[in-house]
Amino acid sequence: MPELYLRLLARILGPFLIALTLFLLLRGHNLPGGGFIAGLLAAATLELQILSTGDQNVRQRIGRFLQPGIGVGLLIAMFAALIGGVAGQGIFQGIWWKIPIGPLVIDLGTPVIFDIGVFITVVGVTTSYLLGLSQAAERR
Amino acid sequence: MLLAFLLLLFFSGLILWLLRPHNKTFVGWLSVLPPGLVAVWLLGQVGSLTEETIYTERHLWAPSLNLEITFRLDGLALVFGLIITLIGAGIALYTHYYLKNDPEQGRLYAFLFAFMASMLGLVWTDNLLMLFVFWEGTSITSYLLIGFKHKSAESRRGANTAFIVTGFGGIFMLAGSVLLAQEAGSYTISEVLKTPGLMDSPIFPAALGLLMLGAFTKSAQFPFHFWLPGAMAAPTPVSAYLHSATMVKAGVYLLARLHPAFAESPIWFWSLLIVGGITMLIGAIFALGKSDLKALLAYATISQLGILVMLLAFDSEIAAIAVVIGTIAHSLYKGPLFMIAGIIDHATHTRNIHRLANLAREMPMVSAVAIVAALSMAGLPPFFGFLAKETLLEALFYAVTPELGILPWILIGIAALSGAFFVAYSLTFIWEPFLRRTSPEAQAHVAHPPSVPLVLPALLLVIISVIFPFVLTYPAPLLFDPASSAIAGAVVETHLTLWHGFTPYLITSLIAIGGGILLFAARQPLRRVLSQDRMDGAMIFQGVIDRLYATARWTTHSIQDRSLATHIAVVLMTAVAALLYAGTHMEFGIDLQLGALPITLSEVLLIIVSMIAAGITVRTQSRLNAIISLGVVGIIVTLIFVFFGAPDLAITQLLFEVLTIVLLVLVFYRIPLQLEYTPLPSLIVARNLLVAIAVGIFGFVAVLINARPPYFPDISDYFMRESVPGGHGGNVVNVILVDFRAFDTMGEITVLAIAAVGGYALLRAHQLHNRPNQTEADGDGSPAQSSELHAPAPVQEVNPHA
Repeated sequence: MPELYLRLLARILGPFLIALTLFLLLRGHNLPGGGFIAGLLAAATLELQILSTGDQNVRQRIGRFLQPGIGVGLLIAMFAALIGGVAGQGIFQGIWWKIPIGPLVIDLGTPVIFDIGVFITVVGVTTSYLLGLSQAAERR
Repeated sequence: MLLAFLLLLFFSGLILWLLRPHNKTFVGWLSVLPPGLVAVWLLGQVGSLTEETIYTERHLWAPSLNLEITFRLDGLALVFGLIITLIGAGIALYTHYYLKNDPEQGRLYAFLFAFMASMLGLVWTDNLLMLFVFWEGTSITSYLLIGFKHKSAESRRGANTAFIVTGFGGIFMLAGSVLLAQEAGSYTISEVLKTPGLMDSPIFPAALGLLMLGAFTKSAQFPFHFWLPGAMAAPTPVSAYLHSATMVKAGVYLLARLHPAFAESPIWFWSLLIVGGITMLIGAIFALGKSDLKALLAYATISQLGILVMLLAFDSEIAAIAVVIGTIAHSLYKGPLFMIAGIIDHATHTRNIHRLANLAREMPMVSAVAIVAALSMAGLPPFFGFLAKETLLEALFYAVTPELGILPWILIGIAALSGAFFVAYSLTFIWEPFLRRTSPEAQAHVAHPPSVPLVLPALLLVIISVIFPFVLTYPAPLLFDPASSAIAGAVVETHLTLWHGFTPYLITSLIAIGGGILLFAARQPLRRVLSQDRMDGAMIFQGVIDRLYATARWTTHSIQDRSLATHIAVVLMTAVAALLYAGTHMEFGIDLQLGALPITLSEVLLIIVSMIAAGITVRTQSRLNAIISLGVVGIIVTLIFVFFGAPDLAITQLLFEVLTIVLLVLVFYRIPLQLEYTPLPSLIVARNLLVAIAVGIFGFVAVLINARPPYFPDISDYFMRESVPGGHGGNVVNVILVDFRAFDTMGEITVLAIAAVGGYALLRAHQLHNRPNQTEADGDGSPAQSSELHAPAPVQEVNPHA
């Protein structure tokens, strides 16, 4: 049931919300945010798309990534946890690297990778619920 | 190095999957490389084992919990490792050609290589807990492999049975391991086995019994043997690899590993002797009654596993040697035989022995390999199987001592009888499909002859098993001696020769062969008797499982009936009851500390608004209003988090609130927005009211208790202090989530993923249920059917008043 105003709103808000999602994800380690919150926000962004353009449309575009995404997210998180083990410090031990990009020095560590895994899992789980329920609602 | 090998195998399976291997010829050969590489490395280690320099390896796992990954490559681990990798390499090649052009081939590779990694880990590890992890790894991959053709009910049933039996065994084994490790004070296997006085401790019988249960279920010993024939629903490469050469030997491996420490225990002796002896005999007898080639081989495998277990009962050098020789010989002939059964199935589309004949002329090369392997299975000279049988009998004759009395003679008799059946079904395997001219039932012909790479692995394994007996002086000190020493717990030197002269074992062997030929001649009437349906383990097992499901269904229906209100009442009252119980068992005081935090006007206003909103939610006539006012409650909770300086919580709560409302709207979209107001029975209203009040009171009390000064020194100081230096992050909530408590988060997202699978299944079941109604009403949507599908509750039962 695509709605004109909702579509307009979604078109305008969509890119902004996606940027906000990534912002929240990456700043999460130092300021409010993080994988869980960013994942929920991404799901909400997608829900706006579902409501405005219909679940079929969204399913066609991202449907096939969702369930693999859950697994991929888990694997990334697990991988991040194992790095500490391989580095000889025990699993789940955070390992940090300083990565200079031009004048900036980015503090990148396995917890950040772990958070990205959490993010992908949360997006996958929540969005597949939303899509499933939307489908059930639309085809009554 | 060993850990790297396990990871290599695991990941190469995934890579093979991603390569979509079914229509790429090079993949068959590529897949040989990873196990081949490991095998070559293991062969390089062979010489070094004779000295005291056993290769060991340690990795930290979770040092704070004393968990570590340790590997120890002694003779036994090396022999098993070689069997796993060499046959694995052959199976990898065979799989590609067996499942040629099957788009699911990649998945089989992924599971197969994951299994290979688990199985190697199982035989290499030196830690009881890691042993359990790898043990379950083989159970899970075996489950996935048996259920590979998951659209067939037979496959699913076989997979379930195998997994439940071996999984239960695994749990028992874990319990036994923990008991043993507690007593010995170490989880390192090599240390546990050296601990003196273990057998005198009061928990020893329990620990040993549990460990033996694990081994017996895994190695398909009577009375748990029934899962193995069911596992034959797996694709043939899987049967050849897991269910004859490797996985089923895990139980034998465990017993062999424990042998040096426990072999003197009478419990050990009698359990292994009786269980192994019965398994050996019934496996051999029932194998003759089977007309499916794979079923015949499955029962033959059960019998061979029984022999190995029985041999482990004895505490003698020759018994240890017999176990090693028996394990190697069995893998070398049974693997090829299974592969042959698969080739026959592939070429003629049947494995029914009554429909096969004359294959020696239609597939000469396959038949030559099959006949040699089957002669080895029969234990005829000069093949490797003969050597295995000779050592078995030698071990039994060695046990003839005054204190055991007549027992060894009974065992020799049973072994000879089993040997006769071995000969009989081996000859049947050779004669009926390959040599005879016509079959009794509609004869199947070779539709497409097998390609060379499909036969090659079987051929190579058979060649090895033919050469072995003639070059015994070379492998004996390098392979057999270290492995036998590991089982015996003392240095063992083997003196194997093909020809001993006229020893008592040779005479027994000859009697068995003669008996086998007689049985072969009388096979038709024997088969008729043996193939009758009767009560067997699988049926009893199915009965138990059915009862379990019936009980589960009954509890579900009686506790969680179809009203949402009842569901919630049951859940909430359970929580209240748990809290009440806890409350009566601990001391707590309520310290309100009024004045510590001044109450502001805005907070009071928020609380009042939220109470009003909650009231509206309950009393409103419109579902939409109910959803909106519920949203108001949630937003106010968010605001309270903001006021109390918890921005992360506030953001999460807000997003959850938004998504919950959208979900509720989507769900309620299916239901009329206006309630058709039917007053609830007053009894139900009273119940709902009581539940609500109870939960309210207990929630209130719980908060008050939590507000008092903590029982334990506060950990939050530590988190605040360590967040930036230790966690590299200023946001302590996030640092806790992804670093300090990352293990918890891992668990949480795993639960989330499992919930997603469950939710998906529920939504799918719902769609499947609706389909017949939408297309045509041809009786598929009858009430009897729908109640089985657990249909979603009809509209009027979802009641917001509840």
